Amino acid sequence: MELGVGIDVHLFLLGVSHRTASVDLRERLDFSSRDVGAAVEALAARSSAAESVVLSTCNRSEIYVATADPARAREELVAFLSNYHQLPPDVFLPHLFTYDDAAAAHHLFRVAAGLDSLVVGEPQVLGQVKEAFQAAAARHCTGPLLNKTFHLAFGVGKRVRNETALGEGAVSVSFAAVSLARKIFGKLHGRRVLVVGAGEISALTAQHLRSHGVAEIVITSRTAAHAEALAAEVSGRAVPWSEMTAGISRADIVITATGSQRPIITRAAVAAATGRRRPDPLFIIDIAVPRDVDPSVAEIEQVFLYNVDDLQNIVQENLARRGAEIARAEAIVADELARFTAWQRSRRAIPTVVALRQRFDEIRRAELERLDGRFAGLPPEARARVDEVTRLIVEKLLLEPTEQLKALPDEETQGIYTEAVNRLFRLGDAPADAAENDTAPLRNPRSRDD
Amino acid sequence: MNLLPLVLYAAAGIAHAVHFARRQPQVGRAATTLLILAALSHTFVIGMQTMEVRHVPFANPSNAVSTFVWLFALSYLYVEITTDERAMGVFIVPMLVGLQLIPALSPGVERIDPVFDSPAFWVHVSSLLFAYASFGLAGVLGLTYVVQFKEIKKKHLGYFYTRLPSLQTLDVMNARAVAIGWLFLTLGVVVGAIWTAQARAALPDDPNLRAMALNDPKIFVAVLTWAVYSFALFARRTMGWSGRRAAWLSAVGFAIVLLNFLPINYFVTTSHTF
Repeated sequence: MELGVGIDVHLFLLGVSHRTASVDLRERLDFSSRDVGAAVEALAARSSAAESVVLSTCNRSEIYVATADPARAREELVAFLSNYHQLPPDVFLPHLFTYDDAAAAHHLFRVAAGLDSLVVGEPQVLGQVKEAFQAAAARHCTGPLLNKTFHLAFGVGKRVRNETALGEGAVSVSFAAVSLARKIFGKLHGRRVLVVGAGEISALTAQHLRSHGVAEIVITSRTAAHAEALAAEVSGRAVPWSEMTAGISRADIVITATGSQRPIITRAAVAAATGRRRPDPLFIIDIAVPRDVDPSVAEIEQVFLYNVDDLQNIVQENLARRGAEIARAEAIVADELARFTAWQRSRRAIPTVVALRQRFDEIRRAELERLDGRFAGLPPEARARVDEVTRLIVEKLLLEPTEQLKALPDEETQGIYTEAVNRLFRLGDAPADAAENDTAPLRNPRSRDD
Repeated sequence: MNLLPLVLYAAAGIAHAVHFARRQPQVGRAATTLLILAALSHTFVIGMQTMEVRHVPFANPSNAVSTFVWLFALSYLYVEITTDERAMGVFIVPMLVGLQLIPALSPGVERIDPVFDSPAFWVHVSSLLFAYASFGLAGVLGLTYVVQFKEIKKKHLGYFYTRLPSLQTLDVMNARAVAIGWLFLTLGVVVGAIWTAQARAALPDDPNLRAMALNDPKIFVAVLTWAVYSFALFARRTMGWSGRRAAWLSAVGFAIVLLNFLPINYFVTTSHTF
C-alpha cells in the first residue's frame, strides 16, 4: 500500500570504524577531508534510498540510509564507496559492518554517547554527528526516519553528558596539566606562562593554555633557535636562557621539559623567585625525564609541583573513572533505544489505522449517498452540516482505537491487534456494498458461529 | 512556626548533598528552588513575628538565631544564584538546619524591653547578625579552600577536587565575604557603643546598661572577633596573606563568632540577652 509515509522503510547502516579497520583504510574511506555535504548529495543521487546521512570522523566512516530494501541498499552503498573513493570493493569489504533498524539506531546512539569512541567519552563526536546530520538535512537528504533517529541520538549524547561522568577528567597529560591549572587559578585569562625547554608535550600544553586565554607565553631554551621556533608556533615570546629565574618570578605557570641530566630549577631559585612575587600560587609542570625541578621545591607554601608521572597517574585514574561510568551511559542508550522501537512500532500501525479510517469513511459516504434523496429538500448549508457532523462522529469513534494501536507494547501484541482489527472490520477485503455491510450483522448476528 | 522553614532547609540540604554527589543539573536546580522556598517561608515567619512584636525578632537567643539563619540563608542564596556554584551548599545548608533547630524547638517570640526600642539598637543588632552570616560564609569557604589545597598539593585529586570551585574563586569569595562582614561588624560595634552612651545618659540605673563594658565576656569576644578580622584584612593587603593562611584565619574567626553566639549566650551571664 503506497501511503507516502514510508511504512516499510528500514533504517540501514554500513560503515567502517577504528574497531574494524586500520588507520590506513579509514583514511582511504574518509569523507571528512572533502566536503561531506557533496558526498551525501552524490549518494542521494545514485542510490534508491529515500534518506541518507554520511558520518565521517578520523575514527569512522558510516552511511545511514532509510530504505525499503536493505539488501539492495547494501549493494548500492558498496558500489558508491568503491566509486567515490576509487577503491576496489575487495579492499574494504572484509572490514565493513552493517546494521538494520534497532541495531543501527543502537550503534548510532552509542556513537553519539561517546561509547564507541577510541577514547571513551570524548566530547567531539556528538558535534560531528550533529554536523553530519545538518549537512544532509540542508541538502534535503533526510526524512522522517533519519530525522527522528538522529534527534534521538542527539538526546542520548546530551543526557550522557549531563547525567554521567563519562566525558569527565582529562585523559591526556597536556589536558591534565591544563585542568589542574584551571583548578588552581580558575579562569586562566591574564595568567603568564613560562616554558623552559622546547619539546612536543610542552608545545601541546602551551597551546592548550593559549586556547584557555593565558595572557603571555614566554619560552626559554639553551638553544635559542628552539625557543624561537616554539615561540612562533604558540605565538609566544622567546627570551635568553639567562633570564630563566627572572621569568619564574613573573610566571604563574612554569612548564619545564629540558634534556638536562640534573635538576636545573633548585629550591633556592624558586624560593628567591616566589619571595619577590605576588602571593599567588605558582604551578610548576615538570614534564622532563629525568626531572628538571628539585622535588623539594614542592615544600614551598604556594608552589604546586607536578611531574610527568603525577600527570600520568591522573590520566589513569580518569580513564578508570570513565570506565565505571560506561554502565550508566549504556543504560541511557537502552532507554532511548526503547523510545526508538516504540516509535517504529507506532509507525507500523499506520497502515491499519489508515485502512480503518478509509473503511469508516466509505461507510459514511455510502450512507449519505443512500439518504441523498431525503436530503434533497434541505438547503446547502444544512447538507454541509450533515456532512460535517457525520465526519466528526467517525473521527471521534476512531480517536481512541488509533491511539491504542500506536501505543502497543511489543510486536506480538501489535500483530494480534492488527489481525483482530482487520477481521472485525474486514479491512483486507475489497470495499463491500455499504448497505449490505451495514445490515448484514442484523440479518444474521450469529453468522460467525456457522 | 519555625518548623516549616526547618523542614524546607533540611530538604534543601539533602538536595544539595545529592547534587554534590551526583552532579545532575536538574537536582542542582531543585536544590536551589528548595532553598529559595525555605528562605521565603522563613521570611514569612520573621515577617509575622515582626508584625506581632513590632520589631525584628531578636529579644531572646532563640529569636536571634532564627534571624541569623534567615540572613545567612539569604546571603548564601545570593552567592549561589549569582555564581551558579552549589558546592558550598553541602556545608552551609546543614549548618542552617542545625542552627534552625534551636528556634524550631523553642518557638514563640518575645518583645524586647522598651529601653532597647530605638532605631540605633536595631541597626546594631541587624548589622552584627549580618556580619556573622558573612563570616560564616567566609569560614566555610576557608575550610573548603584548605581541603582543596591539600588535595592538589598532595596530588590526591579525590572526591572534592572534581566538585569544588577553583582555589582562586574560593580565595576571592573568601576575601569579599570577610570584607563585607568586617564592614558590618564595625558598624554594629560602633552603633552599639554610641547607643550605650545615649541610653546610659537616659537611664543611669539600668543594670544591663551598666554591665556594658569591655570586661563583659560578650563584648570582649566581639572586640576580639573584630581584631581577628581586621588582622585578616590587613595581612591580606600588606603581608600577602591570601590563600591558605587567609582561609585558616577566616575559619578561626568564625569559630570565635559561633562561640560568642551560642555558648556565651546560653551559659555565661552577660549584659546581652544574646
